[in-house]
Amino acid sequence: MAPLQKRALYSLGIGITLAIVLIIVVILKDINTFDEDLGFRLIVYALWVGVPLSYLIVVNLTLRKPEQIDERDKLIMAKAPKIQYLVILFSLVAWTIALTEAFSDQGQVPVIYLTLIMISTLIISTIAQSVGILIGYGRGAGNGQDC
Amino acid sequence: MAKTARISNRIRRLRFDTDEMTQEELAIRAGCTRQTIIALEQGKYVPSIELAFKIAKAFAVTLEEVFQYEDLAK
Repeated sequence: MAPLQKRALYSLGIGITLAIVLIIVVILKDINTFDEDLGFRLIVYALWVGVPLSYLIVVNLTLRKPEQIDERDKLIMAKAPKIQYLVILFSLVAWTIALTEAFSDQGQVPVIYLTLIMISTLIISTIAQSVGILIGYGRGAGNGQDC
Repeated sequence: MAKTARISNRIRRLRFDTDEMTQEELAIRAGCTRQTIIALEQGKYVPSIELAFKIAKAFAVTLEEVFQYEDLAK
């Protein structure tokens, strides 16, 4: 397995784990208690910091081996954001539609959703990038002249 | 868009002819990863000009002896 492929798998693992943690936290804690419940807020803030930090430490610092990355890896990395942008765009559209439908009668959206949108976007971005890289390895990078 | 050309290679054959050179050894000589050599042999990847020259140099042959260009538009 190529080092970048391994890195993408680790990223995918981190992303899915954090997504599960976020879903469990939201299910177990009543989302409407965010403003009053300090413990709930701290868990959400910890996730806020934990997502980029764990990605940075595990993926970028421990798995980064620039000397083991060649032109094909670079090509796959360059193509991965195409999937990433698309998935992020659709997730934001989904959030917009869901929140509009849920809170249109109240005329305002609870503050917690700002944080949830940002955390979920970060997690989705990480997962989508990893999936994009893994698809690149599975399908073949194509033409090295595109580097 | 339909492909107008196909680039094939004889890397597997040349490795066999060069005392069964391993994929790892060729990768080191050409300055790429073993996975890229695997992808090249499977026809899943077409290398850049630079890598193509490095692979040819690793076998001490010309570029045309490793890579073949076939014009499909004809």
